[in-house]
Amino acid sequence: MSDQTLQLEAVLKIHLLLVDDESEFKEVMQRHLSRMGIRLSVSECCLDALELLEAQPIDVVIMDMNMPGMDGIQCLRKVKERWPRTEVIILTGHASVKSGIEGMESGAFDYCLKPIDIQELIEKIELAAQKALINQEDDIP
Amino acid sequence: MTLLDRLLTLLRRLRRSATAPPSPGPEELHRQFIARSRSFRDLLTANANTLAAMAELETALRDGRTLSMTFIRARCTLVTVNVFKIIHHLNRMADGRYSELERAFSRLHRQIETILDGRRKPATGALILDLRQVGRAQADLTGEKMANLGEAGSIEGIRVPPGFVLTTAATGLFFQRNQLYPRINHIIQQMDIADLEDLHGKSGAIQELIRAAPMPPELETLLLDHFDRLAEARPGCRVAVRSSALGEDLGQASFAGLYHTELDVGRDTLLDACKAVLASKYTPRAISYRLAKGFRHEEIEMCIGVLTMVEATVSGICYTRSIGGRNDTLDLFCAPGTAKGIVDGTRATGHLLLERAPPHRIVRRLEAEEAIAPWLIDAEATTLAETGMRLEHHFGAPQDIEWSIDRDGRLYVLQSRPITAAALHAPVAAHPPPADDRLVLHGGVTGCGGAGCGAVCVVHGPEDMLRFPRRAVLVVRHPLPEWAPLLKRAAALVAETGSEAGHLATLSREFGLPALLALDRATELLADGDMVTVDATNRAVYRGRVEEALRRPVERTNPMDGSPLQRTLIEVLQLISPLNLTDPASPDFQAGRCRTLHDITRFCHEKSVIEMFEFGRRFRFAKGTAKRLRDTLPIEWWVVDLGGAFVPHYDLSRTDIDIADIACRPLQAIWAGMHGVPWEGPPVAGLRTMVAFLFHSALRDGLDPARTSALREKNYFLLSQKYCNLSARLGYHYAMIEAMLGDRPGDRYITFRFKGGAAGESQRVRRIELLAAVLDHFGYRIDRLGDALTARVERESEQVLLDRLKVLGYLVIHTRQLDLVMAEAGAERSYRDTFIQEIEDMLNHE
Repeated sequence: MSDQTLQLEAVLKIHLLLVDDESEFKEVMQRHLSRMGIRLSVSECCLDALELLEAQPIDVVIMDMNMPGMDGIQCLRKVKERWPRTEVIILTGHASVKSGIEGMESGAFDYCLKPIDIQELIEKIELAAQKALINQEDDIP
Repeated sequence: MTLLDRLLTLLRRLRRSATAPPSPGPEELHRQFIARSRSFRDLLTANANTLAAMAELETALRDGRTLSMTFIRARCTLVTVNVFKIIHHLNRMADGRYSELERAFSRLHRQIETILDGRRKPATGALILDLRQVGRAQADLTGEKMANLGEAGSIEGIRVPPGFVLTTAATGLFFQRNQLYPRINHIIQQMDIADLEDLHGKSGAIQELIRAAPMPPELETLLLDHFDRLAEARPGCRVAVRSSALGEDLGQASFAGLYHTELDVGRDTLLDACKAVLASKYTPRAISYRLAKGFRHEEIEMCIGVLTMVEATVSGICYTRSIGGRNDTLDLFCAPGTAKGIVDGTRATGHLLLERAPPHRIVRRLEAEEAIAPWLIDAEATTLAETGMRLEHHFGAPQDIEWSIDRDGRLYVLQSRPITAAALHAPVAAHPPPADDRLVLHGGVTGCGGAGCGAVCVVHGPEDMLRFPRRAVLVVRHPLPEWAPLLKRAAALVAETGSEAGHLATLSREFGLPALLALDRATELLADGDMVTVDATNRAVYRGRVEEALRRPVERTNPMDGSPLQRTLIEVLQLISPLNLTDPASPDFQAGRCRTLHDITRFCHEKSVIEMFEFGRRFRFAKGTAKRLRDTLPIEWWVVDLGGAFVPHYDLSRTDIDIADIACRPLQAIWAGMHGVPWEGPPVAGLRTMVAFLFHSALRDGLDPARTSALREKNYFLLSQKYCNLSARLGYHYAMIEAMLGDRPGDRYITFRFKGGAAGESQRVRRIELLAAVLDHFGYRIDRLGDALTARVERESEQVLLDRLKVLGYLVIHTRQLDLVMAEAGAERSYRDTFIQEIEDMLNHE
């Protein structure tokens, strides 16, 4: 089985959550991902996201760093603390070495810069999905 | 490592060996193998991403493109995040045995952060300073221009106009009180700099914002008080309000004529004039100049000089070292009235050349045609030369001086600053223009040498700027500073008026743009769309493309040279890109010796490959052990399967394998290259070379020709279906090929490393040159350091990469021991031609 088919299978098995307050980006992502048959939920801010995570299992989270309310790193830490098997991809329009390292140290799966090519982001999601499924199989973070 | 550390490590090891099962079962081993392969794959992806982002940073530094802080920060972040991942994956593969790397990494990323976040401290100090209180020590408060002028005024025998300076503390207060920076940043972030129309619109909005902002009351009072004091000494006086920005006169960047100067200002218009100068920091030309030269707008802090107007009869510019290229003379440019007409190129200008040494004899005098009597008498010219040399002596470098002489014959210095490096590289005409029928115009003065070719675009006003096509020849009546935003996209500049001393001429030299000025009737004789060649060095314009003119080498300058952003990039690259760990066999190849992120990347990559091999050995894992690959060449090849590298029907109990049983596409391509053209064996070397070779071998451990093992070492291929890593010690050199042909563009790349050899240094370097030339021909990106070479190609289609792998296969075999016959200079050239020919035949044949 090639890597590609493995990933595509993985991505169809997962539940994805997009946390971003930028409505245009959210719409574009929603259109693309639903066309691919991916199960997707969206939320505007970290607190909403945490509520959603509490209510149902989520495998992969895509999270913008700069949102109203709680800052991205804090939110990431909360998610990884409570749901260590969930993989989080960080997205940011304000790249900084400091936040990049903080994000990775706090357990992010990847740290991506906006503007991001939609295809590239989908590839990252596929990899994260694969990892999330392995986490479930192995029962390890 | 302290004794305590050692004991702790020992204890940990003992505990591990006590708790871990002595030999894991086959299923557990398989699981571990899969997990390691996955980490290895992720490490390789992060490795490829790191190298790609590093290459982007290095290219940006070299090619002189417009740098932005956003770009630098984004690429540095990508590099750091990916190096973090590399270390993480290696430690997962190696059960945390390389945690020492984290220390080196942590130190490096902190240093990078500090450089990227480096900001100037906010200015504190007096809001307004009298010019007599100002010297070079106050430059941080008053800007270089006013600091230099204050300093000049303190030199005996030099007169400057009375005046005062609004300091950075004052202008900072104005911006802060009106919350201007957040609002300006908001507009700038939405600006499309490539779109000139957008640039003009947004620039207008920012300038309006500044002009409309009220002056803080305490500042307004101070300003008017200082004006009144000037008026006490000279009743009814008028002032000139000029910019003096911090970081403006850095020697490499002239900022010539970028900002507004308001002349003849009275008390009633003083506040508006000050705001107009501050607003001129955001004119389209200033914004695009800063972008082109790598300055952040917040970094340019603006101060304002308010100087009593000099009632000038004659004014001009003095370059204390001729910009025409002579070392023993100085230039004086002059025109009646104020100097404005000279610097914006609208005025006819007289030009005098004087000796730098006293008594400053006049070498040449070129009056403008309309001058009835000389604008500058000999005595005045000599006084100017004396003043200029005194300033040069005081400031320690050749100066660019603006001056005026008033009705009473008093000489005032209005500005003195170092001549920009670009200005001193003015060209000397070398070739008389060919007198053929292609010649359209001839004459004028060279603003910046060189030649350029393109379609004519005549620009009369701002509206024409918007339709200016890329690589067109910019033709204007006057070389006004307003046209500055077009210099970066133009192929050449032609103007009907102007001189070498004008702002646009200075800027064209900074950008290395061929510029021909004072070329009469240019806008009349050159029409929009005409294809022309401008030979600025030889002062001629031709119809069509004239190859003879374009072929002459021109030194292109990098407009980013010396800019703060370039300095930032150079500083961070020092921590990122130098590679110190080149030789895995060297005792220095250790985690603790990693001094850059590139070192860490290189170290981790090497160790990860070893980890994959070692896994098989340590756990005696049947599926991971090596199979000997059968070959007709007398070289030992061994292969290790990471997953999917062998065809399904291959019998795993065998100890050898045929190439037909290999399912790894990259290896098949390399193999095809190795066997595509028969190798005729090692080249025949002369006696002297052989003696040198034996001597050299005796000096180097492991290279003793008597020891067969050195020449018969096993060469390993680490394989999966899409991945291939070859580490080979072929005779006396070390070669590494790594290829990944994944589905994602980021997972498609080839890296080739080559180092060493048996011959002396110069011969080894010559072989590297040969390799570099051939690889360059086939589209590889090359990095060389002594006798080590790294070549990379990435993100190409699978077919392209397979062809490039064949090239490597050919080279690995055909360059064996070739260093031994590289004694003659030029030997590499004949080999290069043969190799390229044979490889091309091989690729075409297939």
